Amino acid sequence: MRTLAAVTLPGLGSNRPADSSTVGRTIDEEERMSLKGLLCVVSFVLCAIPAAAQGPQNSGAVAAGATLYRARCAECHGSDGKGVGGHDLTRLWSSGATDERVFQIIRNGVPNTIMPSSTAPDGELRALVTYLRSLNGPAVAEPFLRGNAENGERVFSANCSSCHAVNGRGGRLGPDLSRVSQSRAQLTESIRSPSASIASGYQSVTLVLRDGQRVKGTLKGEDAFSVQIMDTNQQLRAYMKSSLGSVSKEPGSLMPEYGPNRVNESELDDLTRYLDTLRAPATGRGRGGRVEP
Amino acid sequence: MIGSGGRVRARAAVLAILCGSCFVAAQEKAPGGLTTQEVARGYKEPTRWPTYSGDYTGQRHSPLTQITPANVQRLSAQWTFQTGIIPRRGYEGTPLVVDGVMYLTGPFNTAWAVDARTGRPFWRYRRELPNDLTYGNVSPVNRGMGLLGDRLFLPTADAHLVALDTASGDVVWDSVLADYKIGYAATAAPLVVKDKVIVGISGGDFPTRGFLDAYDPRTGKRIWRFYTVPGPGEPGSDTWPGADVMSRGGGATWVTGVYDPELNLLYWGTGNPNPLYYGEDRKGTNLYTASIIALDADTGTLKWYHQFTPHDTHDWDSNHVPVLAELTIAGQPRKVVMVANRNGFFYVFDRANGQLLVGKPFSDTTWARELDSNGHPIVLNDGSKGCLPDQWGSTNHMPPSFDPVRRLFFVTARETCAAYFPVKEEIVPGRISNSGTVRRDADRSYGVLRAIDPLGVERRWEFKYPTPTMAGVMSTAAGVVFAGDNEGNFMAFDAASGKNLWFYPTGAPIWGAAAMTYMLDGRQYVVIGSGTNVMAFALPIG
Repeated sequence: MRTLAAVTLPGLGSNRPADSSTVGRTIDEEERMSLKGLLCVVSFVLCAIPAAAQGPQNSGAVAAGATLYRARCAECHGSDGKGVGGHDLTRLWSSGATDERVFQIIRNGVPNTIMPSSTAPDGELRALVTYLRSLNGPAVAEPFLRGNAENGERVFSANCSSCHAVNGRGGRLGPDLSRVSQSRAQLTESIRSPSASIASGYQSVTLVLRDGQRVKGTLKGEDAFSVQIMDTNQQLRAYMKSSLGSVSKEPGSLMPEYGPNRVNESELDDLTRYLDTLRAPATGRGRGGRVEP
Repeated sequence: MIGSGGRVRARAAVLAILCGSCFVAAQEKAPGGLTTQEVARGYKEPTRWPTYSGDYTGQRHSPLTQITPANVQRLSAQWTFQTGIIPRRGYEGTPLVVDGVMYLTGPFNTAWAVDARTGRPFWRYRRELPNDLTYGNVSPVNRGMGLLGDRLFLPTADAHLVALDTASGDVVWDSVLADYKIGYAATAAPLVVKDKVIVGISGGDFPTRGFLDAYDPRTGKRIWRFYTVPGPGEPGSDTWPGADVMSRGGGATWVTGVYDPELNLLYWGTGNPNPLYYGEDRKGTNLYTASIIALDADTGTLKWYHQFTPHDTHDWDSNHVPVLAELTIAGQPRKVVMVANRNGFFYVFDRANGQLLVGKPFSDTTWARELDSNGHPIVLNDGSKGCLPDQWGSTNHMPPSFDPVRRLFFVTARETCAAYFPVKEEIVPGRISNSGTVRRDADRSYGVLRAIDPLGVERRWEFKYPTPTMAGVMSTAAGVVFAGDNEGNFMAFDAASGKNLWFYPTGAPIWGAAAMTYMLDGRQYVVIGSGTNVMAFALPIG
């Protein structure tokens, strides 16, 4: 598969209109993309902790958490929690998160993103979690109980790894799936109907050069005079618009649809189960950090 | 070797098989990252600047000739990349350029891939750093990355080495160099040598023990480590009073070194002993601090060394870019390594065996004017006879350049006047151990760009700056020398005469950085970092 383009990142403006490019967009999008780890880690979690352990909401804690939230979180995640530069935090529990998981993410931050760690007292973080939970609907997490992860890895290698990387191995045309952030239903949609929504920074684009040559890729940046893409050879390429006949931003994903004829239901279960196993724990910093003797 | 063209081509082939409609352009180019051979070739390929100094010699002397002394007056700004991150000092890095893509870093471990034609970004990486950084908080600089195949190698303020994917900026692996909480950080651009990533460490102003490391570029696994301060009983340990002092003896390796492929030797500078100014508790010469070390690149074994400043008490690190060249000395061609040192002396060594061939002051220092039979300075003024060069030294880590045809070594010299006040302080892990203060007489201090004959250490020409400056130098085969000053002017000089030919006020001190250059679309670009920005210049079209 090419781009698992429907890596739905709630609040990240999926299905961006074709003419929405603006100067400076790349950085903003990159920053938002870098935050996907928050939801990634949160949403895949964890269905292992029973709902009963997640504790009742407390109006005092909600109020205290709201105050803390406005001071420390709202700049990125929005005053309503639906995300500005950061992620939508109103769908965490519905994606399978738990109180403890959200607490740990706030405590440790998200590796390789601008989501920082926190040294605030536990009580403050608990209040924040309680407040965030009040913004979320009921938990309806769908466990990744079906499927065989080992076979899923084979399915991934055969169909996905030419364009998607996992733990540093694989292609770059589509998003890195090491900690992909979706429920099984969302993943299924991403695989079956990748054009339904497209992650920021992965919009399909076709450039027509003056000599008629066509170059396809994903759009990384654009201004009035130039355009930056990753071509389908997975090379970063930049062009002055004066050298181009046209720049066409496509509504659909570069990734083909993987219908049952390409990935059957059993393989789909295996694949989503495999992706579920990839989630790295929120260790705080440095994915793959290694201490040498 | 990793990420060779072969691997990427194979990847594209798989892609083409699996994906239907998107592969119109799949075969249009033969993509791939640089091989070890291409890294070694350096800027001899005109479109590339693949390593910190441009190539393994450290000469920072580009073969490009489009910009000349005759036309450099027409040099014009082409683009500015705003890092958006205010540095504590200046923009100290050197970007890399391969295949029209520039890879650059900023303070606090940010990194970008940008279009080398426009400065427009492809991707951005930003590391989450802990709140309790030590050296990384005092000096959150980054001087660049190494590159091999499809990977970039980024040293971090929390003393990790991180491999990033060139196409996406994604982290491929992340290895811990040392415990940042003690005082370590990593700031110097790694040097890729064959199948190894050589990376130095920072933090010698804290109670740390310096080292130089080699890592496997595929896995991030450490291959060897050379400690710049020996362990108990090891050679050199008799130059320290005891094991405890050695365990935090400094000797950081925070400036990228150079490499001789024929001798398979790395040449790297080492920093100050710790603590900085108070030396009574570390009596002895304190090997291998304030030295140049020559290490076997395969094993990290020490082949030779020379200590420039025994028992330093002035923070005169020897963290410089050593410069490799061939010089004819007494009628014989000699493969040499040259160092313009923070202690005010210019040195030339036979780089095979470390024999000292030349050692004379390139500055006006009154500290010493001659070397003894061991090549050590004969100290004339310990500070009691008037001012000494300040703690930033007679030059610093800003790269020099060397024009082998004109046989001129270009160095930013600092002529300063300072007094030192050492104080015994408690040594605490994680706390900077200055152990004293320095006062500089600003009225008697200035900077100067000097062109030096490396044999006689005569000054062929010089250009004076109003204040001590920390800008590096790049020269080109066309005879243009690019430098800058503390007032923010990026400048071009005639290599032969020293005449200033062009300047551009960048608006912030050029501090620690030196220019780099590359060809793209038939145009020669010259790039310099200043303040929060990286700026590109070229001759106007037409």
